[in-house]
Amino acid sequence: MLDIAHLHKQFGSVTALDDVTFSVAPGQIMGLIGQNGAGKSTTFHSILNFLHYDGQISWQNQPITETVFNEIGYLPEERSLMPKLTVEQQIVYLAELKNRPAKEIRPKIDDWLKRFAVKGNRKDKIKSLSKGNQQKVQLICTLIHEPKLIILDEPFSGLDPVNADLLKQAILDAKAAGAAIIFSSHDMENVASLCDSLVMLKNGQVVLSGTVEAVRAQFGKTELFVTTDQTQAQLAQLPHVTDVHQLHQRQYLLHLDTPDAGPEVFEALTHGQYIEEFRQQPPTLDEIFRLKAGEPNA
Amino acid sequence: MHKLWIVTRETYTRQVKSWSFLMLVLMPFIMIGLSLGIGYISYSANSGSDTKIAIISDEPALRQQLIAQNKDDIQKNVTTVKQAKAKLAKDDLSGYVVLSVKQQQIQATFHGKSAMNSGLKAKITAYLTQAQSQANLATAQLSPAQIAALQKQPVFKEKLQHDQGEAKLAKTVSFWILVFMVYMILITYASITAQEIASEKGTKIMEIIFSSTSAAKYFVGKILGVLLVILTQVAVYALGGWGGYLYAQRIHGVSEFLADNQTLVNDVLHNLLSVNLIFLLLGVVIYTVLSAFSGALVAKAEDASKAAQPATMLTMVAFFATFPFQNNADQLLPKILSYVPFFSSYFMPIRIINEQASPIEITISLLILVITILLAMFYIGRIYEGLMLQTDDSSFWKRMKRGLAYSKK
Repeated sequence: MLDIAHLHKQFGSVTALDDVTFSVAPGQIMGLIGQNGAGKSTTFHSILNFLHYDGQISWQNQPITETVFNEIGYLPEERSLMPKLTVEQQIVYLAELKNRPAKEIRPKIDDWLKRFAVKGNRKDKIKSLSKGNQQKVQLICTLIHEPKLIILDEPFSGLDPVNADLLKQAILDAKAAGAAIIFSSHDMENVASLCDSLVMLKNGQVVLSGTVEAVRAQFGKTELFVTTDQTQAQLAQLPHVTDVHQLHQRQYLLHLDTPDAGPEVFEALTHGQYIEEFRQQPPTLDEIFRLKAGEPNA
Repeated sequence: MHKLWIVTRETYTRQVKSWSFLMLVLMPFIMIGLSLGIGYISYSANSGSDTKIAIISDEPALRQQLIAQNKDDIQKNVTTVKQAKAKLAKDDLSGYVVLSVKQQQIQATFHGKSAMNSGLKAKITAYLTQAQSQANLATAQLSPAQIAALQKQPVFKEKLQHDQGEAKLAKTVSFWILVFMVYMILITYASITAQEIASEKGTKIMEIIFSSTSAAKYFVGKILGVLLVILTQVAVYALGGWGGYLYAQRIHGVSEFLADNQTLVNDVLHNLLSVNLIFLLLGVVIYTVLSAFSGALVAKAEDASKAAQPATMLTMVAFFATFPFQNNADQLLPKILSYVPFFSSYFMPIRIINEQASPIEITISLLILVITILLAMFYIGRIYEGLMLQTDDSSFWKRMKRGLAYSKK
């Protein structure tokens, strides 16, 4: 279990992190979201001991030391490898620094290259690979030593949908193997589809925290998806409806002024007749993100 | 310890496998090989034009013996004047000597287009003088006692006194070899070390590495890696030098020079392979640490080329500061500088070569140097993470201050 309690970090007069508390259990994926400069990378750097900080950070109830480093897989925000090494040398070198013997890692390299569909072979120099393939090699370096705590800073940035799916699968495999995973992302769809829980930072403070469902539920089921023959103007006349967006030809998104208005709107819309779609939902993560980011500071 | 070794090994193998290292190590051998090759070619070109002579004579015993003593200079298959003239005309011979004996007197006449080679002339004259005196003795019909009396030769002996001059020469030679060795190694490796470190500055690979091992271990591993590279180069040169020395002993001319100057060679070797070598190695270590530190202080990886400047400037200052004191190392300034790290690697060896430092002084200077190196490595190891992860464009001093403030414990 990764436990972070009352984490505080000050850079001169700037408060980068303020009383940040959360935990990630083995076999769980946590998404760390927030705008640029919200404190996501600073949180990661604190976990990895790159910084002085106030507060407590522990892994399996132990402070994070060099021994714990062996169990960590870290992917930094920008990618960088050692261009003069071959793919094999790079992977083996970083794995050895994680205390894994070369003879254990070498036989696995071909499988991993195949798994991530890397174009190139193990004897190619890193600098000869395309940017996308270098990024995949870096992911392999992060995961090949089977870390128990995986920290991924913007892992999806720069990946096309096919490669993003490969990464998603690798993250889910690591979760199935019992790793505690924490990743930051600006893509709320990835967060919603992968994460068990999320933490949103704003100006160094936690503004949202909990399971994805719980966070969405906090905002109430104020979104209503309906598929009907009625017009947008007719729908706007319904009680408690604040606005109407047409999504497809007959599909609309209605915003309600209160989550409790569902039964009343249902009655007014259907008069007890069949309706193709009537789905009352909390806002999406993307909407919550925009909403929270736009709020004035606490 | 294990991770430190992994970093050392990686730094070492990457450097040693590079073309620049290979060129650096092989260049002196290539240069020596080239100059020897050119020397050999011009020598053989010259010796090619130096064709042989022929000996024409009706006295087979006299001729055969002369040929036997000078096989390399005489074409023995030319036996008649006619043959010799023909070959001379075609420049296949540089000349011929007609040898005859008239009334117990040996007569030799050289025919050629230019004067006879002076070395060969001396050898032939010596041989003929000896042959003539043997013939004279036979003609004179002397008793054995008379022969013995006539064969007495003067005795000429050389008794050379070893004066202070040679010892002084040994000191000067040792001084220059040592100072240049330190200087060349430092100038070369200061930039290699600084660039090695600076090229990683602010790169995300450092974040990955520091999420695997401590910055202090990584720093020490890097330094050890570079030192191993230096040792490899020194070892290659030492082996090459030793091989060259052994080979030189077999070369005509050089072997005589070495034999004549055996004391000087021994003295110089003694001066180099002593505690001075420890000062040299520790000097390399402390300058390497400084170079690594200044490499870590550059603003970003692109500035790597500037990174070596502090170390190279300092080593140049120390190098040139030694010049005025090579013969008067007992002055106050060299005495003080022989204790100051960065300078002591130049100045203490000078005092040792001039026999002006007591064992206690040498030990104190060594201790100061070792402690400084250890403290510097410990301290830089602690702030290394902060130095390597920051990538702002602020001034040198600001960066240094921030790096120092980064210290974690």
